[in-house]
Amino acid sequence: MTAREAIFGAIGAAGERAVADEAAIAAAAAGLLARCAPTRPAQGAGTAREIFLRRLRSPALGASVAAVGRAAEVPDAVRRHLAAAGLAPVVALQPHPALRALDWSGFDVRPAIAIDETAAVGWAHGGIAETGSLVFRSGPDSPTLFAFLPLHHIVVVPARRIRPWLEDYATLEAGEAWPRNLTLVTGPSGTTDIEGRLVRGAHGPAHLHVLVLDEGG
Amino acid sequence: MSAMAEPASFRARVAAAVADPRLAEAIARTTGTARRKRAAAVASWADFASARALGRDIKDHVIAHLGHYLALFERNARASGAEVHWARTAQEACDITVRICRAAGARRVTRAKSMLGEEIGLPHALREAGIERIETDLAEHIIQLAGERPSHIVWPALHKTREQVAELFRARHHDAARGADVAALVASARRELRAGFFAAEVGISGANFLIADSGAVCTVTNEGNAELTTTPPRVHIVTAGIEKLVPSTAHAMTLLRLLVRSATGAEVTQYTTFHCGPKRAGDPDGPEAFHIVLVDNGRTRMLAEGLREMLRCLRCGACLNHCVVFRTIGGHAYGGTYPGPMGAVLTPALDGLAANRDLPQACTLNGQCQEVCPVAIPLPKLLRGWRDRSWREGLEPATLRRSLALWRFCVLRPRLYRLAAGGAVRLVRMFARNGWIRRMPFAGGWTRDRDFPAPPARTFLEQYHRSSSARGERR
Amino acid sequence: MPASPGGSRVGLFVTCLVDAMRPQIGFAAVALLEAAGFRVEVPRRQTCCGQPARNSGDREGARAVARRTIAAFEACDHVVVPSGSCAATLRIQYPELLADDPAWRERAEALAARTRELLSFLVDIAGYMPAGVQLAASATYHDSCSGLRELGIHAQPRKLLAAVAGLTMRPLEGADTCCGFGGTFCVKYSAISNAIVAEKARCVVASGADLLLGGDLGCLLNMAGKLHREGAPVRVLHAAEILAGMGARPAIGEEG
Repeated sequence: MTAREAIFGAIGAAGERAVADEAAIAAAAAGLLARCAPTRPAQGAGTAREIFLRRLRSPALGASVAAVGRAAEVPDAVRRHLAAAGLAPVVALQPHPALRALDWSGFDVRPAIAIDETAAVGWAHGGIAETGSLVFRSGPDSPTLFAFLPLHHIVVVPARRIRPWLEDYATLEAGEAWPRNLTLVTGPSGTTDIEGRLVRGAHGPAHLHVLVLDEGG
Repeated sequence: MSAMAEPASFRARVAAAVADPRLAEAIARTTGTARRKRAAAVASWADFASARALGRDIKDHVIAHLGHYLALFERNARASGAEVHWARTAQEACDITVRICRAAGARRVTRAKSMLGEEIGLPHALREAGIERIETDLAEHIIQLAGERPSHIVWPALHKTREQVAELFRARHHDAARGADVAALVASARRELRAGFFAAEVGISGANFLIADSGAVCTVTNEGNAELTTTPPRVHIVTAGIEKLVPSTAHAMTLLRLLVRSATGAEVTQYTTFHCGPKRAGDPDGPEAFHIVLVDNGRTRMLAEGLREMLRCLRCGACLNHCVVFRTIGGHAYGGTYPGPMGAVLTPALDGLAANRDLPQACTLNGQCQEVCPVAIPLPKLLRGWRDRSWREGLEPATLRRSLALWRFCVLRPRLYRLAAGGAVRLVRMFARNGWIRRMPFAGGWTRDRDFPAPPARTFLEQYHRSSSARGERR
Repeated sequence: MPASPGGSRVGLFVTCLVDAMRPQIGFAAVALLEAAGFRVEVPRRQTCCGQPARNSGDREGARAVARRTIAAFEACDHVVVPSGSCAATLRIQYPELLADDPAWRERAEALAARTRELLSFLVDIAGYMPAGVQLAASATYHDSCSGLRELGIHAQPRKLLAAVAGLTMRPLEGADTCCGFGGTFCVKYSAISNAIVAEKARCVVASGADLLLGGDLGCLLNMAGKLHREGAPVRVLHAAEILAGMGARPAIGEEG
């Protein structure tokens, strides 16, 4: 008997029917999900964009945020943010077409991201108002490591892609498949492993700056 | 390789723990913060009670249809390009993991904290196989340097004060921080571990959720070490208990809200990643191979033996943080992988009751663990279940059995009981001075640390029925 | 909804600890129940609720004791217990212990339904509030775990104590944290129990109250014993003693 057979056998012996009524199980699972919405924590008043901004500004999250009207203004917003942090305009750029299309003159754009990169500019797939999270779907234009290697991570998120709840990026949109990594980033990296005290910048970024891009609705 | 040999008996470990004021201080610092933050998070969630009931029902639904969901998960994980392995026991799980490492030519692995990995003894198995292991979670890194075992399921290094961590880093880090400032210690670990992420052939993680309808594996961390552990190496291995299943990503989100608030008081972890298969065509990073080792190790036995509710556990650690016993003795005293109330239920199931009979007994049944559990596991009931079994199997000491037999003989005979109670109070009263007893034969368990008030000359029943018969009443 | 007490018979389950260690709590309970208009009976066949057996895993022993208690109190309209943990044993453990005993299951459930802890009975069932009770003192209250978590007793003792003229209530840090008693736990694992009750004693002293009150004698003996060993001059009493106007009489360990 293989380990697999033994495990399924033991589950059967504990009372589960060998042939599952798949439709009934799916209906029960859907019924559970339907109970979720009324139990979710209150978000307070405002649009998803407003709530998202409020969450990102809350001290517990430890991020900073600014609104940008047009994509063309992103490089200037990045430059201002770096200057305010006392950093030179040197960035690694996520290979996202929307970022690459912008005018980065005046920047030293690194050819690839280094393991101790100081600053990187990213483009998020979406945002979640409930938690102030950024959503990344790994792929050719979104390497997983971009969100983890830099000390300063500056991320553009289109306002129209900000959704209210965690569940809103938990299902596939038309034509989508699951990426290798679907990652929710909520604030900069942190740890409470020593005496329960929160310290930023454990392994991932110590600083997260979010640019909410309003262009395109 | 253990830096300190741990005493063999529970009582000896307890004695060592309560005699260590630094341990008490360390536990109080972290669990105190955790309790305050959890309380605030729960207080600000208006319908926490309904969410908790839903979380419980989701887990119960999956456990009731575990075979169905395991098969579904396996099918979808394979479709995503993952290889799925099955392990009945800890040994099988370690063997599979080591075999994959060897096939990948791995000399070095990185590991993101996983309690299942601790449960199956993976650190030991890798050492035996001659494979270097780099623990990437800060607390696990501290534990690894110290050559110790985790003492908490969320904060494995909870038993260490910052001063002790500073001392350890000074001795072992290449570019150690001076002083015991927590931020400087974290920075020191960041420098020390950075290169290691890219020097491993295999990255090993656990799973917080297994998503049946996509075949994905969810990890949650605050440090970002899970993704740094699982993305650069050529191979990613997940070791996960079969109870980690949820029907879909959306169900996972519902449980995630409960898990994180209960663990740290935050709304969500900083990094929540759903890992689905190996690197895709065109992906700039990610492993070429993705292995998932599904581990039973006693879980199906728990299903059959009345511990089904324990399989709900999300490993949030809230029951540890709120347990007066855990807060007094710390995690190491429990002797198993899992400490605190959940550990007192799990360890006898994993490692046998006979060797762990103290764990379900060393509990006041105060119920705070169940009250704070985000999936409402009836921990006191399960602990009572172990006590019943321990009694049935004759594991309780003969002295206890004899005294309970005597007690039972008396309480089942009301006249004898009243006589015995009256005699006992007058006997015990003879040891009192000024209203208190400081010591008395056979009462050291109480009088070593506490005084005992003098009992009255007559019991209530003696006094009451004397006065009521004087009033002419009789029943 | 207050019960109409006229003619309603309350059986007092004294508990073995109150019987042997502090009869005054039993007399306070009788006085309060009579003041609330009930006829109080104290069945002679009562002994212990069976917790020592139940909590040690001796189900058979606990079942035997449960049957005794059920039979002893079957004629009473209400069963009132001046202890949260003993009341919880009758209300929750008895039906569980006898669930598979066809001859006793319904009797256990019927007893459970009629059983209440004293302070919650006075508020929730009797609608009673003490009148004319005075005690010039400050007090703090420890919520014993069984009463708090298994029976939901929290507001009732505070509501009753608020009616005592001159009594000021002070908050107790960790009022809902276990005191480390746990029945036989406190002697089986005395090193752990001692550390827990030492912390509790620190919090009690820090409250600055003259009195420590509670609703479970086991916990009160544990805390009083620790406070006395450490020389803390806090007087410890059951809340029922205060409510029955016995607060000026000797507290636990004080000589009359």
